[in-house]
Amino acid sequence: MKVIEAVKASGRNSLVEYEAKQVLKAYGLPVPNEKLAKTLDEALRYAEEIGYPVAMKLMSPQILHKSDARVVLLNIKTPEELREKWEIIHENARKYRPDAEILGVLVAPMLKVGREIIIGVTEDPQFGHALMFGLGGIFVEVLKDVTFRIIPITERDARKMIREIKSYPILAGARGEEPADIDAIVNLLLKVSELVDDLDDYIKEMDLNPVFVYNEGEGAVVVDARIILK
Amino acid sequence: MEKIVEELRPFFEPNAVAIIGATDKKGKVGNVIFENFKMNKERGIFKGSIYPVNPKLDEIEGYKVYKSVAELPGDTDLAVISIPAKFVPSTMRDIAKKGIKSVIIITGGFGELGEEGKRMEREILEIARDNGIRVIGPNCVGVYVPDTGVDTVFLPENKMDRPESGPIAFVTQSGAFAAAMLDWAAGAGIGIGKMVSYGNKLDVDDADLMDYFIHDDEINVVTFYIEGVKDGRKFIEAARRITQVKPVIALKSGRTEYGAKAASSHTGSLAGADTIYDAVFKQTGIIRAEDFEHMFDLAKAFAALKNKLPRGERIGIITDGGGAGVMASDAVAKFGLKMASLSEESLEYLKEHFPPHAVAGNPTDVVGDTDAQRYKYAIEAFVRDPNVDAIVVIVLFQVPLLDEMEVIDILAEYAEKSEKPIVAVAMGGKKTEYYAKILEDKGVPVYPTPERGVRALAGLVQYSRYLERIKG
Repeated sequence: MKVIEAVKASGRNSLVEYEAKQVLKAYGLPVPNEKLAKTLDEALRYAEEIGYPVAMKLMSPQILHKSDARVVLLNIKTPEELREKWEIIHENARKYRPDAEILGVLVAPMLKVGREIIIGVTEDPQFGHALMFGLGGIFVEVLKDVTFRIIPITERDARKMIREIKSYPILAGARGEEPADIDAIVNLLLKVSELVDDLDDYIKEMDLNPVFVYNEGEGAVVVDARIILK
Repeated sequence: MEKIVEELRPFFEPNAVAIIGATDKKGKVGNVIFENFKMNKERGIFKGSIYPVNPKLDEIEGYKVYKSVAELPGDTDLAVISIPAKFVPSTMRDIAKKGIKSVIIITGGFGELGEEGKRMEREILEIARDNGIRVIGPNCVGVYVPDTGVDTVFLPENKMDRPESGPIAFVTQSGAFAAAMLDWAAGAGIGIGKMVSYGNKLDVDDADLMDYFIHDDEINVVTFYIEGVKDGRKFIEAARRITQVKPVIALKSGRTEYGAKAASSHTGSLAGADTIYDAVFKQTGIIRAEDFEHMFDLAKAFAALKNKLPRGERIGIITDGGGAGVMASDAVAKFGLKMASLSEESLEYLKEHFPPHAVAGNPTDVVGDTDAQRYKYAIEAFVRDPNVDAIVVIVLFQVPLLDEMEVIDILAEYAEKSEKPIVAVAMGGKKTEYYAKILEDKGVPVYPTPERGVRALAGLVQYSRYLERIKG
């Protein structure tokens, strides 16, 4: 894939969010309609196209933890605010990593919040790539409530993964909540498996974290993504 | 014939075995192995020829000793090597020249002990690959097959009991574990049809053995004690093939080995060896055992009930003690199974045949004044009831009016004729053990606690679900 080749050619071994999402998009995974702005003018134009309010995320190979660096700014409502935030986001990046190479600023629509899940890929030295699934936030951070399968997986595997995590009731609809779009998660898991199976010579690890899953029939969207190359 | 069967058969039923490093010095590895074969030959179990090889001896206990591999008779098809590591590569070359295709290298001191050992291992493997030789070991106790008298376990019979034959195969890397397990199985009355300890796993590995056991009619359950897998994809492929026809149970050690692994992704930091093995086992239908005891509890259930896998997860419990029934019900929930709700017919049938103080239901409590007939009514009802998929029968043999042999015969009769799996639980001391053994000999798996009985059934349910899933 072109994106991967280009990243490798530049001597990097991981794809920033924007690049990772291009790979995901090519495999039919749902990513937001977002654009990489190199200049303030581009950012203003894209924000207009997308429609306010928007989010901005600064893309730099040196900044892996974007929220720690405060380079994710949300809910920007007007062009004026965007101009102001454009300065702030760059200043934050410089403060965090003075040497940070800046690839651009991703201008994205504000997403409706859904139930957070995490989908990931790791490579085991004996068994090859494995796919991980779990609920995001404290479920993964504190409770480590995740499950794995060796890639490639089948649809049955995907359904079983979803059902076997302890926090499954949250997806199924606990306490009167609507059930989440399980089919959309199945689709995501299968597509990630397919993608990694295809690109297994390139990809080492991957985090789609978080992914928002909406109510049944309303789909899911990959909010943030990282791909680490071999 | 399948290639793998042809290749591995001499390990399990050789025409003639060369014991390289055989000696008359009692207690030495080369002597114990020789004695094992000699004794099994005298017992009429080992039917092949035995050729000791040792340049310094002419004869051991009436057996002609060959000075070198080159002198061995042409029918030699298995070589067992127990000479010091540094002589093994040159011996392998002689073996290749002689045309022997199966070699067990008992000798240790190879890859596990540094660079020079690793170099020798590579040399041995190269000779093996170039000449189509299959190697078990090095650094192992090799093979034990009670039916054919192959026994390279270098722990003498007066120190380590051998189990009788049975439908269970046991594969392990560790030699010490192999020995301890065989000794224990002998004591526990668990029959082992084939044991392989492959040590450093230079050539023959888990996947090869799984492929072999697919075709081995003597074996219907395969158990593995796994420390690590070298070729994961080969393992997965072979596991998927065998679990379609035979249950495989694995005990995996080293739960914390990944601890120090540095990972750059979030996912990588959450993946441990253990979670990955869990995934592999789930995807290949291998039943994972939590510990040694669990492994053989499962093996026993599968050996007896392989053809009676439960159609569902609804468990029926019959007991003559209320407490034991509660323990079993708890275990049903703990292991992810469901309590069956008996049909109206069953309840009526039971009430009709029970005195008023016995409890018809699930659990059905035949209570402490039960006789064997009350058990019969209960089992009859559960076997007939379409809402019950598998049955746990708890028998506290201690109750005064229960004729032990009669209840044993009833259980054995239903275990035989019922299509549903039935496991028995018998808690108690020496007297209970005595009756449990009789019941097991009649083909009913018996467990010493309700929890272990239910957990064994949970393994059957898990395997049954896997088969349903792959068969769509």
